[in-house]
Amino acid sequence: YKLMMNYCLSGHPTLPCNVLKFKSTTIMLDCGLDTTSVLNFLPLPLVHSPRLSKLPGWVSKDGTVNLEKELKECAGRVFVDSQPEFCLPEKELLDLSTIDVILISNYHCMMALPYITEHTGFTGTVYATEPTLQIGRLLMEELVNFMERVPKAQSATCWKNKEIQRMLPGPLKDAVEVWTWKRCYSMQEVNSALSKVQLVGYSQKVELFGAVQVSPLSSGYSLGSSNWIIQSHHEKVAYVSGSSLLTTHPQPMDQSSLKNSDVLILTGLTQMPTANPDGMLGDFCSNLAMTIRAGGNVLVPCYSSGVIYDLLECLYQFIESASLGTTPFYFISPVANSSLEFSQIFAEWLCHNKQSKVYLPEPPFPHAELIQTNKLKHYPSIHGDFSSEFRQPCVVFTGHPSLRFGDVVHFMELWGKSSLNTIIFTEPDFSYLDALAPYQPLAMKCVYCPIDTRLNFHQVSKLLKEVQPLHVVCPEQYTQPPPSQSHRSDLMLELQPPPMPYRRCSVLSLPFRRRYERIHLLPELANSLVPSEIKPGISVATVSAVLHSKDNKHTLQSVPKPPPVPPTKKRKRVIEEPPEVLAPKPLLSGAVPLEAFLATLHKHGITEVKVEETADGHILHLQAEDTLIQLEEDGTHIVCDNNEPLRTTLRDLVLRFLQKL
Amino acid sequence: MDRECVALLPRVCEVLAESGKSLPDDTSLEKLLDWFTGLAKAGASLLEVCPCLLEFISTVIYNTDADPSVLSFTLKLTGLMAASEDGFKMLKECSILRQAYDIQHWQDAGLWEDPCIRIGWIQGLRSMLQHPMALHFLVETDFTRHLLQLQTDASLFVASAANQVLAHILVFFQPLSSDDVEKKEEKEMRTYACIKAPIAMDTDIEHLAVAMETSHEYIAVTTAISDHLKVSLVPKENAQFHQSLQSLKLLALLLAQAKPPLEDTLLRTVLGSLEALVKAEYSQLTLPLMDVLLTACSHCNTDEHVTDQTVSCLLSSMLDTSKPSDLIQAAAAVLRRGHRDIIHSAKAVGILLLPLDIITGQTLLSTHSEEQRFSVEELLKSKTSCISMLCVSLMNTPQITLMPPDFLPCPPVTVVTAVLSLLRICSGHAPSSSIGSSKTCRNIIGNGKVQRCGLEALTALSTSPGGKEKMSEVFTVLIQYLQNPDSDPTVIQKSYQALVKWMGVCTDISSMRDQLTQDLLEVVKKRMCDMHWEVRDSTVEFLGQLGGVCTSTKPDQVVCVSEALLGCSTVPLLIEALCDSESYVRASTISALAQTLAHSWQQGAAVTQEQTDIVIRLLDILSNDTEGFARRAVVQYFTAWFSSYSSNTLPLSSSSSSLLMKSVHSVLSQGSADLDWEVKLHTLQLAQLLLDKALPGLQGSRLDSDTHTTPPTPSLNNLPHPYAVGSDQAYTLHTHTGAQTHTDPAGEGGCRESMEMDLADAVHSLVEQGVVSALLSGLVDCDRPVGLKACRLLRTLRDTICLQDTPAALATATRVACELPGSGWGREIRKILEKKCDWSKCESEEDDSVCVGVYEALRSLGLDEKLAILTQSSDHVHNSPLSLLQDILSTSDTHTQPGTQPGQEVIVDCY
Repeated sequence: YKLMMNYCLSGHPTLPCNVLKFKSTTIMLDCGLDTTSVLNFLPLPLVHSPRLSKLPGWVSKDGTVNLEKELKECAGRVFVDSQPEFCLPEKELLDLSTIDVILISNYHCMMALPYITEHTGFTGTVYATEPTLQIGRLLMEELVNFMERVPKAQSATCWKNKEIQRMLPGPLKDAVEVWTWKRCYSMQEVNSALSKVQLVGYSQKVELFGAVQVSPLSSGYSLGSSNWIIQSHHEKVAYVSGSSLLTTHPQPMDQSSLKNSDVLILTGLTQMPTANPDGMLGDFCSNLAMTIRAGGNVLVPCYSSGVIYDLLECLYQFIESASLGTTPFYFISPVANSSLEFSQIFAEWLCHNKQSKVYLPEPPFPHAELIQTNKLKHYPSIHGDFSSEFRQPCVVFTGHPSLRFGDVVHFMELWGKSSLNTIIFTEPDFSYLDALAPYQPLAMKCVYCPIDTRLNFHQVSKLLKEVQPLHVVCPEQYTQPPPSQSHRSDLMLELQPPPMPYRRCSVLSLPFRRRYERIHLLPELANSLVPSEIKPGISVATVSAVLHSKDNKHTLQSVPKPPPVPPTKKRKRVIEEPPEVLAPKPLLSGAVPLEAFLATLHKHGITEVKVEETADGHILHLQAEDTLIQLEEDGTHIVCDNNEPLRTTLRDLVLRFLQKL
Repeated sequence: MDRECVALLPRVCEVLAESGKSLPDDTSLEKLLDWFTGLAKAGASLLEVCPCLLEFISTVIYNTDADPSVLSFTLKLTGLMAASEDGFKMLKECSILRQAYDIQHWQDAGLWEDPCIRIGWIQGLRSMLQHPMALHFLVETDFTRHLLQLQTDASLFVASAANQVLAHILVFFQPLSSDDVEKKEEKEMRTYACIKAPIAMDTDIEHLAVAMETSHEYIAVTTAISDHLKVSLVPKENAQFHQSLQSLKLLALLLAQAKPPLEDTLLRTVLGSLEALVKAEYSQLTLPLMDVLLTACSHCNTDEHVTDQTVSCLLSSMLDTSKPSDLIQAAAAVLRRGHRDIIHSAKAVGILLLPLDIITGQTLLSTHSEEQRFSVEELLKSKTSCISMLCVSLMNTPQITLMPPDFLPCPPVTVVTAVLSLLRICSGHAPSSSIGSSKTCRNIIGNGKVQRCGLEALTALSTSPGGKEKMSEVFTVLIQYLQNPDSDPTVIQKSYQALVKWMGVCTDISSMRDQLTQDLLEVVKKRMCDMHWEVRDSTVEFLGQLGGVCTSTKPDQVVCVSEALLGCSTVPLLIEALCDSESYVRASTISALAQTLAHSWQQGAAVTQEQTDIVIRLLDILSNDTEGFARRAVVQYFTAWFSSYSSNTLPLSSSSSSLLMKSVHSVLSQGSADLDWEVKLHTLQLAQLLLDKALPGLQGSRLDSDTHTTPPTPSLNNLPHPYAVGSDQAYTLHTHTGAQTHTDPAGEGGCRESMEMDLADAVHSLVEQGVVSALLSGLVDCDRPVGLKACRLLRTLRDTICLQDTPAALATATRVACELPGSGWGREIRKILEKKCDWSKCESEEDDSVCVGVYEALRSLGLDEKLAILTQSSDHVHNSPLSLLQDILSTSDTHTQPGTQPGQEVIVDCY
């Protein structure tokens, strides 16, 4: 027996990174990068910000620790003044160079890829769908661009000293694993990492070393997002990450292929279980319209792909009814143009409704029309064309949602002072209060409409009822109600048997053992078999062969015949003769029927039989012969002293009733 | 009866009797029957008036090839004719009765299978059973047995009609107690009904004999039916629930109308079965059984009768059933029927409050059986039963809080608290400490149905005693619901309604101001931009209703809640909503503006720039909006404004008055030229107000001529909403604050100036304002309601002028002239005038406008004839019996004439 292991390298349930050891292969499932660590850093302004540069440095109350250079204080909180850093997946739990393949489920869950593929000795392959790769590349490029546009010379490290960190105010004090935090990768590393990606299509089967087969399934969450099936001939593991049952733009979720799995690893449920996406979209639109009508500007910090397509589509319908026809919408991102165009060409990855539009003159997403009619304008950055065409009041979509880098920082500085303006948070990844912390005091109105289309608990329990996995493995966060709403028992997974929870650095041995292995028979060996039918439809044969195992494939070959003994002249001693290979005794099966057996005994002249019933069968006492026959379920014993002919006779009588192989 | 009809009838009967001839449409036979019924009711003997019917019936009933619908009609007609004793005798003599109602005959012909034959048979019987002879016939033919069988007929209509007839027989022929008889005899002569009662002295021997016989037969029928009830009430096996259900329905029907002797007999017979039924606890039968028991109980006067006591016991056991879902239904029935027995009511209240008690953790009940509690708890764990039980429970809470205190297990305010915490749980906002079972809560978090029910209950609870203590909590919960992005549009609407209701009972709005103002304004602003038009619509409606809610801090000081809470933010919000893309929202916005501004109109405040802008915007909507709703609302806005002006005791500021009068002119001219007839009708209502104001003396005469068909004027407080309910608020206000023009004979206040005006000036001003043009154009309008209204008003105007006391006044008045345009309605009016009088003399070009004397024109227009024509409905010709008979004949003709094409129908444009 071999155990199946699951190593958990990320503590973030929606940005997972797990490693599965299964049948001598090591598979990394997703490669999520936890970017919430950047909330501890000061924003990177695009143009010099007098406000930020004037922030006081931090000195401990008793004055013993002075980190004025590294830490700045703003509205009662302390921020690190340095290039923002990310919290990487755990690298010490297992040797990452042993990873054979990495399976990516969607473009949000691959942002840590360069850290894994470039500096760990990784030599394997990464599998992802085409939109995942292309949009993932865009997001990485954008991230690198945001960082490299405003380089910071210094790197703050003193505060990470354990002794010093302990004295810092929260939340810096409570930040974990700060020594593993790393600065952003470079474009070169991105390119190198992405060159290791091999593209796959939905339901395409990929063989790994002959041992397992992996296959992506549509998960309905974003363009090209997938769940994965990892199976051998006898075991099936389903990896569900970032799935959605809502009908938005991507292809709908493939649920039926998840059925009958032994283990289902469940990650990427909605981060906003109490906020229904429809309600949030409505809230988004009405808040936006309210601000515009009052003459204010709306800032929407967002990623350059994903929910923004749905937001634009929703606004497209809403603009008319709210008479916002004249308000300009700006989408500012280094990759804005590519993102808007890509979305229109990945036909086979779109939902059916949009797929059919690809073949019509009308583009699948209505944002094309918004662009044509000049209602939506997109720019790579605030520099250049944008500044000359900028009109207020307006709506600006721009990144990064953490408000720590990207063009959004500029708009925060620009609009933060007026209560007419509104910032509407739609991305659920960051706490909006933490995101806004370095901008305090802030007059701007703030609205939180997190739109997370991933599965909620209600949907997931329906899904699990339908696909019926034997065991479910999930982050521990999903097994209890959120701490802030301890009474909401509807916001957790309740399953029978209970799910196996994991947290960062957990190593789980998955609760099923491999019992069977597929073995091939060579044709000549198969020919030599003599099956005999023991039940209708079931035949049995004995096999003598040599087992040959290579590359996880097992073959039975005929026993090589012993080389013929060279003829000798001398007659060898009997004792030296190779022991004669006796034909194996036939295997017996069946049961001895008592009545019929007694009748047979009677025919053979044994008449005085006393039958005694025992727990397992019967004892027949042949009184005249002073012999016992024990007939039991799994054995028959003849106790017969000093009467070999009788014993043989009895044995043959018993054998008559049994089948021989 | 019309001679022409009499002449046509024999031919029609022939046509009908000939099978295979199709009818103009499937309602013709019903119309025909209605006509005959009307004739019979009016006292005519059908046999005398239409002797041909007898022949018709006798032909048809033997013709089994006839169309089943004609046969069914014939059966009903036969019954109708047999309803009178003479008719009955005649039909019996011709042995038509027996043949027509012979079931065997219809069965042999294979027609009994057709439900329309069975229904014809039953309804015919029902019509016939009006006299003892019919009862005799019924008993003789043993039809009771058949009726009892038909009770469980496969066709629901047949089954229900059978039940109705059975009930009719027992109730109609039931013996009366002496009191009843005396009362009855005073009213009508129905001597045959006096069976047990002392027969009046002058009754002759024959009558007595009939009465005796009837009594005998009646007893037989009663016994048959009550015995049947006794046996059939308890289902022998599961398949017989239908039978039991029908019997219970029949029993309920009977008990509701039975007088004591019959009631006693019935109850005595079925009591045992009822007991068995109660014990058996069949869920399907809970409600009909409760219906029977409660009906029986409502007749119990004292507890002396054994039967009454038993019924009361049965009711108690119903409230002890072991199945909680049945139990709550039974308890709800007790409350719904207004049963006022303290033991039962208190028990029912306990049952209804139990689910709320369990879920919210509020102690509503001091004592309750653990067993019952446990079984309800179990049931609440399943989603469907949890929701249905809670909804029943919630629906009854308002009534519960209004019950006398000794019926209640807890003070009413605790019930309000429980409903509030349930609403909190539903929205996921409840603190964990206050909640019962978490599994149950799971079932209702986010559930729209429970939310709606809860909000409805909360709305109704606003008037419950002790509710005021909870005011602040109520507002918090409601605002939370309004803020929640997941609330669906109906939930939002109900939250608004609840808010308005609670604000209406809030005596001290200023104390709530801090809590409400900020949040409410914020959420209303947001909801005005909602994606769902339903939400925007209910938001503007809410703003309008808020404008109508007033509370008084001190007796003499009335505060408008809208102003107190939202200050002056309401009107700008509404002005923005005038541009909404949805016409419903625009219409509601206009109504809301009227409601909001009503307060300032009342006080005669000076006009603001804002109001001037609104007027410009509204006139723009009236001329340009593509949807009728919005335009109707605009006219009503001005109607409301004007009526608040004319009913006002304070002098209207001159700016306001001039703005109003200036706009009234445009409204009249645009409104009367509108394409939508309702807009035109509303415009005429405005014209009517102007008439009332200009000629204060005319109310009496106008009201007389105007009482039935036209809708009441706005000042009578009943103006219909542009498309939905709830806009009468604006008009409610001035009925209690205003001086009520109609009942103010001295014409004090606002009317004074017009009183002083000379009639000629008044008419002149009406011409100037465009009232006369509006009325004249309405008169020739192709929409009947518009023409009718205009005609009535013009008549009133004409009569007022000619009623002038002095010839001098009359002379001056008649000199006032108005202009008729050369095209459109002007030309139509001119055509009429040319026909009526010597108008050809008037030399004018076709397309030029001309001036005519108002009075002269009014006299020459033939208003009285016009009114007579307009009063008749447009289809009065087509609805006459003559037309019906002609239609039947002509259809049969087209069917017999080969060359005609069947598809050529007259397409009537109707709306």
